[in-house]
Amino acid sequence: MTRLNRFLLAGAAMLLAAPSVGQAEDYKVGLLLPYSGVYAALGQEIDDGFMLALKERGGEIADAQIEVVREDTEVKPPVGLSKARKLILQDEIDVMVGIVSSGVLGAIRDFVHQSGTPLIVANAGNDDATGARCSAYITRQSFSNGQVNRPMGPWMFENGIKTVYTLAPDYAAGHQMIDNFKAAFEEAGGKVVGQEFTPFQTTKDFGPYLTKAKAAGPDAIFVFYAGGEAISFVKQYASFGLSEEVPLYGSGFLTSPLYVNAEGPAAEGVIAGLHYIPTLDTPENKAFVEAYTRDHGKAPSEYAVQGYDAGQALVEAIKSGATDKEALAAALSKVSFTSPRGPVEIDPATNNIVQNIYVFETVAGSDGLTQKLLGTVEAVRDPVNGCAM
Amino acid sequence: MTADVSFWIVQALNALQLSMLFFLLSVGLTVIFGLLHFVNLAHGALYALGAFVGFTAATLAGSYWAAFAAAPIVVALVGVLLYWALIRRMRSAGPMNQVLVTFGLIFVFLDVFRIGWGDIALGFAEPELFSGRSELLGVVYPTYRLFIIGLGLAVLAALSLVLTRTQIGAIIRAGVDNDAMAACMGINVERVFFLVFCVGCALAGLAGAVAAPVLSVTTDMGTAILIPTLIVVVIGGLGSLKGAIAGSLLIGFVQTFGSVLAPQLAAILIYALLAGVLILKPAGLFPARG
Amino acid sequence: MFHQTPLKTATVLLLAGLAVAYGLSTGFFGLELLTEVAILAILAIALDLVAGYGGMISLCHGALYGVGAYAFGSATVLLGWGAPAGLAMAVGGGALFAWAIGAVTARTHGIFFIMATLAFGQMAYAYLFESPVFGGNDGLPGVPRLDASALGLDLNDSLTFALTCLALALLAYAVSAALLRSGFGRTLVGIRANEARMRVLGLPVWRHKAAAFGVSGALAGLAGALAAQHTMYISPGLLHWTVSGELLIMVILGGLGTLVGAALGAGVLVFLKHEVSRFTDHWHLVVGLVLIAAVLAGGRGLYGQLEHLWERRRAARRAPPETPAPDEETTGHA
Repeated sequence: MTRLNRFLLAGAAMLLAAPSVGQAEDYKVGLLLPYSGVYAALGQEIDDGFMLALKERGGEIADAQIEVVREDTEVKPPVGLSKARKLILQDEIDVMVGIVSSGVLGAIRDFVHQSGTPLIVANAGNDDATGARCSAYITRQSFSNGQVNRPMGPWMFENGIKTVYTLAPDYAAGHQMIDNFKAAFEEAGGKVVGQEFTPFQTTKDFGPYLTKAKAAGPDAIFVFYAGGEAISFVKQYASFGLSEEVPLYGSGFLTSPLYVNAEGPAAEGVIAGLHYIPTLDTPENKAFVEAYTRDHGKAPSEYAVQGYDAGQALVEAIKSGATDKEALAAALSKVSFTSPRGPVEIDPATNNIVQNIYVFETVAGSDGLTQKLLGTVEAVRDPVNGCAM
Repeated sequence: MTADVSFWIVQALNALQLSMLFFLLSVGLTVIFGLLHFVNLAHGALYALGAFVGFTAATLAGSYWAAFAAAPIVVALVGVLLYWALIRRMRSAGPMNQVLVTFGLIFVFLDVFRIGWGDIALGFAEPELFSGRSELLGVVYPTYRLFIIGLGLAVLAALSLVLTRTQIGAIIRAGVDNDAMAACMGINVERVFFLVFCVGCALAGLAGAVAAPVLSVTTDMGTAILIPTLIVVVIGGLGSLKGAIAGSLLIGFVQTFGSVLAPQLAAILIYALLAGVLILKPAGLFPARG
Repeated sequence: MFHQTPLKTATVLLLAGLAVAYGLSTGFFGLELLTEVAILAILAIALDLVAGYGGMISLCHGALYGVGAYAFGSATVLLGWGAPAGLAMAVGGGALFAWAIGAVTARTHGIFFIMATLAFGQMAYAYLFESPVFGGNDGLPGVPRLDASALGLDLNDSLTFALTCLALALLAYAVSAALLRSGFGRTLVGIRANEARMRVLGLPVWRHKAAAFGVSGALAGLAGALAAQHTMYISPGLLHWTVSGELLIMVILGGLGTLVGAALGAGVLVFLKHEVSRFTDHWHLVVGLVLIAAVLAGGRGLYGQLEHLWERRRAARRAPPETPAPDEETTGHA
């Protein structure tokens, strides 16, 4: 897909109003996202968030012209790599933004690194991408799998959960999420009494696993599931009556605002940790939620904020005066700003984002389900994990 | 593991519930296979259509039962359209062209779902009547899952009655055995084929609406269910009710108890079972024709 | 029976010529597409060899392709044995895996054969998806390309790599055609036509089918090794049954049992998908309708249709006009 989208940010009024530091330059941005396949909804949210950031903050770099080129990864690593080559070699983009699946990120990482093209990761959470396989050109504005799950360990222990049973799909991200949680929970003093990894995207019936988890008699169940699997899991968890006996905790994707209403009342009472919830009470978030809801008729999810912040990071980098790819990459790994999700900055040691993790409970609101903030773990920073730039 | 009897009873119910979902899906496919010699790879897409139609009906009417009624009817109507536009013409076109056409249909349906219902996963609630849990055999079990088991058994009983005790059943069995001969005996095989195809579609749609409250409704659910359904049909043997129920029970129990007893192998088990059965019995366990 | 008819030769040369001309005139992304088509053409020819001539409709060629890619990846990335050894392991591994599948499934036919091959393919997929040694679902990065500087070729250059893949596709076609014209190939077609009769004639049918499947697996393994070098990265997605499914679609669309049609189908499907997706995210819809239309328009596949028209014209010229055109029995499967 090459729907060229010329985004002209020049406007005479804005030119006068905004104290512009940027240079008169043309920037070409390649949005590499899934627009078809299982993650198409995520790709669209990120795209919408990114475009909103350019629209809102474009005035600050009013004499710069930003052109956006879109390509569809179809969530297939080889396709993603082909499209990355096309964007970099043929379209000669200055910055690449996007990447939902860690598989696609793994496939394009070496090529992006060798070509010296700055990449702002807007979702893919593989710890290695800002660990052993980190790159000076790759900054992450979304999250790492470890970052989202580690804080839940001590938080749950402090809130009286001593033993936990874990469940997650059997693929790399599932293992990373659970392993990080488990290490942190056991370090805090808790005990994981059992764990199971379910076949990824082929498990329809969680009944056998839920029955097993219940039989193990833990204080709580901690899981990572996303998308369709999250909906099936939460509904089946409730239908077995486990919500009355063993509370459900998880990685916040379990009850993402993107699809939590499909889970219905079953999701009420589920407690999870995530880097963003749309009910945060800050002026930045209120403005963001209002603008996003006005444009798209629904509240933003964590995916939308990731796209939005990728856009904000780009604006910040251009504002700092960076014009070529080398300078943009350097500037991108130094950005810090107040995002709708709170203060964020890039950790120069790993190029991963440093951000708050919010523990929230899904509760019934006036129209549909909403998120109640229970606690905030501030400025969560990943360990260096073998990263050497 | 646990020595608790109730644990194993619950797991057996889980297995039975999964088997019945497979049965509702595979019985239509296997009879269409056996009677029409038609490879309908789009059967999974019809199941997904049932779930999407069910979602819309349940949302508009505010009741699960709207989905339960609308899904089989709408999917059967779509089946009628498909039959007149494509399937009838494809019957003599050879299996390769059937594969191509029904694969094309899978692609078309995929985007119809995306355009009609969006990319975000959907879900709707089970009926008020069957929400909550009931006690059975000394264990507490989700009522809706018991409803699925009951529905599967009812459909099984109805189909076996029709097939063994009625004239239309005798005609269908004759058609599966030898359709040319049946036609020679003055039976309007075309009409029987059409009827069977529509019933098969309706059952697929019903399965979609019944499964949706337990699972989620996603655009790729049809493709994801296609392979397990084909496995059930092939293990059981093409064209027989006995094969469909045997295949469903085998897959349902192996998958459930496999994930309890040997979770590391859960992803491989049903394929290993399929390979094993076909190596020993190259035409499945209960082929309709000798 | 396979005949290298003048029409077939002309089509092969025309396709190769078009591909070279496209390669020399296109940009980076065009070369990506061309390389993909050349690699898939090898794979499609491998499938047509057993499906079109041996009646073995396989749904595990994606897995054979993936096994080739993983063999190449393991040899180069994990074991450090270098690309030539990787290439040998890919071809050998593909052949061995395919031979084994062919041997144990030899008694199954039709849909049962399709599902049996699917079972083995999906087992390999599930194993690699969850196996930490091979990188699980994240795959293995850093796969190198063969160093062909001794031949004066720099395979890291996109154009050179694309043309090399194209040359190998032609070679795969030539090998398959030669095999089908040999006694082995004639026996294979004989088995497809009447397996019972071949068995009565004293032929060890299963051994013959397994050998044919093994040859096909060797070609699929080669394609896998090229795919690994093309993307320089491998992931379990290569082995998924949908890859086999799309491959089967390419072969049927191009014309089952024509060999050149398989390559044509690969090219048409890849470029169709690409062209459509430039305009809409809903390319599945358009491609699906094209597939249905292709069947309604003739049902012989693209090359099959071409051959059908060609034969009809020739027959019409030779015979007096009142003679009806020969039917499919005499012109099919030339």
